[in-house]
Amino acid sequence: MVDLSLLSKAIEEGNRDKAVQLTTEALSKGASPPDIITHGLQSGMGVVGEKFSSGEYFLPDMLMAARAMTAALEILKPLLEGTSMATMGRVVIGTVEGDMHDIGKNVVATFLKGSGFEVFDLGNNVPDKRFVEEVREKKADILGLSALLTTTMPNMGRVIKALEEAGLRSSVKVIVGGAPVTQDYANYIGADAYAHDGGRAVPVCKQLLGK
Amino acid sequence: MAMTRKQMILAAARGEYLDKLPFVPRIDVWYNYNVANDKFPEKYKGWRQTDILRDQGAGTGQYRFWAVVREEYRDMEVIVTHDEPYIMTEYRTPLGTIAKKDVFSRYEGAWIVYEMEKLFKSEKDYPIIKYIMEHTIPVENFEAFRKVRDEVGEDGMVMTGAIGLWSAPQRVMREILGYEQFFYELADHPAEVEELLEVMKDLERRKYEVAMGCDLELFNICANWSDDIQTPVFRKYFTPWFKEVTDFLHAHGRLAMVHIDGEMRRLNPLLRETDIDVAEAVTPAPQSLVPMTEFRRELGDNMTIWGGIPSILFEPMYSDEDFDNYVKNLLKEMAPGYRFIVGMGDNLPFDGYIDRVHRVVELIDEYGTLPIEI
Repeated sequence: MVDLSLLSKAIEEGNRDKAVQLTTEALSKGASPPDIITHGLQSGMGVVGEKFSSGEYFLPDMLMAARAMTAALEILKPLLEGTSMATMGRVVIGTVEGDMHDIGKNVVATFLKGSGFEVFDLGNNVPDKRFVEEVREKKADILGLSALLTTTMPNMGRVIKALEEAGLRSSVKVIVGGAPVTQDYANYIGADAYAHDGGRAVPVCKQLLGK
Repeated sequence: MAMTRKQMILAAARGEYLDKLPFVPRIDVWYNYNVANDKFPEKYKGWRQTDILRDQGAGTGQYRFWAVVREEYRDMEVIVTHDEPYIMTEYRTPLGTIAKKDVFSRYEGAWIVYEMEKLFKSEKDYPIIKYIMEHTIPVENFEAFRKVRDEVGEDGMVMTGAIGLWSAPQRVMREILGYEQFFYELADHPAEVEELLEVMKDLERRKYEVAMGCDLELFNICANWSDDIQTPVFRKYFTPWFKEVTDFLHAHGRLAMVHIDGEMRRLNPLLRETDIDVAEAVTPAPQSLVPMTEFRRELGDNMTIWGGIPSILFEPMYSDEDFDNYVKNLLKEMAPGYRFIVGMGDNLPFDGYIDRVHRVVELIDEYGTLPIEI
């Protein structure tokens, strides 16, 4: 098996050029695209997530790592067409209605993508109805809700109620987060889980799906 | 003669000893939301924000006002179009035209806008943005400020500054480029980003010069941070700017304040290195990761802390007993209580209990005599 540890390290360091070079080399040495993704790219992003949560890494480190991963994936994308790569799970994510903030949500989406989840990012200011429609249509395993404001935070509870009314609540796990959100608040509105940041969201989502 | 609430705030900001803790709440999110949606408690329908706070026994509280300086433009055409809730602004300059799109949020009252579409779109915009900054003229906005200050009076504080909410580096990061784009650009085009920062600082220096014509005592100089975003660039871009602005304000007999209602664990030691007088909207656990004892320890004894009660404590999910216990514990944690102004991190939520403002007043009457003895 081709050693992909250097590629993983290049992602961890956010080195886009090196990530592209090592991905190309790994392919030429016979590594399969799924192996490159799992043992090179996702492995590197996993380390970034851990370092982000522990406080060693910051937003720019995460952005550079994600950019390096995206560049490497561009090389692999044509080779993956027609193949089915196993995903960790399908996640619909967005910032709730009335809230225009999206950095925290973007960080979570990036880490989830980098960890093998299939992510459908609905953006910010997302109406309840849209969350329900997308959960149904995408057959989501997890719904991620974000709010930065105490004013919009209650809208997360409203989305959970809308899922109940649509008969979808039992089919999807709901994880919430955002600056004013706490574990107590997650319990209060009936969410399944809370994550303080993007790095922590990954193990929580894996746990929610029993992985 | 007893000090007014404003005198107490300024004395605490200067590090003077008081005999009782000041409490200065902020309720404009709650107030604006209920005005916009006509959902006031029956008793307060038609009341002014300042009168509601007086009724709660909390003076006139904090009153937000954008800035004592406003911007005018020369040698360019600025076209503003309103299409509620959006505001489109187009800057037609000799170097080219660029535009931004803002949106009002009824969730935070009419004065908050978000940049849906930033001014910066690509590298070719740098010279145009620099041109706009260089041809922006700061002018007095004192009359509007004084009108608000007259309403607030001596029983509260108008929270404002020379330049709106953010400092020069924060404006470039957040308003002009957006955080993610800022870090990409800093990696790809560091010289252009740094040049833009310098041009922005020049503009803000001119604003501070104009602002000195106004008798505002306490200036907000920056706001809205999170340690995972600002920490990597804080010492390089924020600290020198804060030192410069704070030195300038001190030389003119004024005080400097920052609004810090985000995660602060990694920023607190850096903030301590500045000479800022007041850290306002301090938001401890459970709404952030940082307990108040850590804020006090990390910010040191030369910075006044204003805040301590997270917004979420005003939510119905916490009982009155939970709330009272939190406040009592907060007062103990902050003993002996000097350089401390009790406040919110950062606002009363739209569905928060307004009567808890009065509970804080009562608890301070009972336990807030200084020095607090444990």
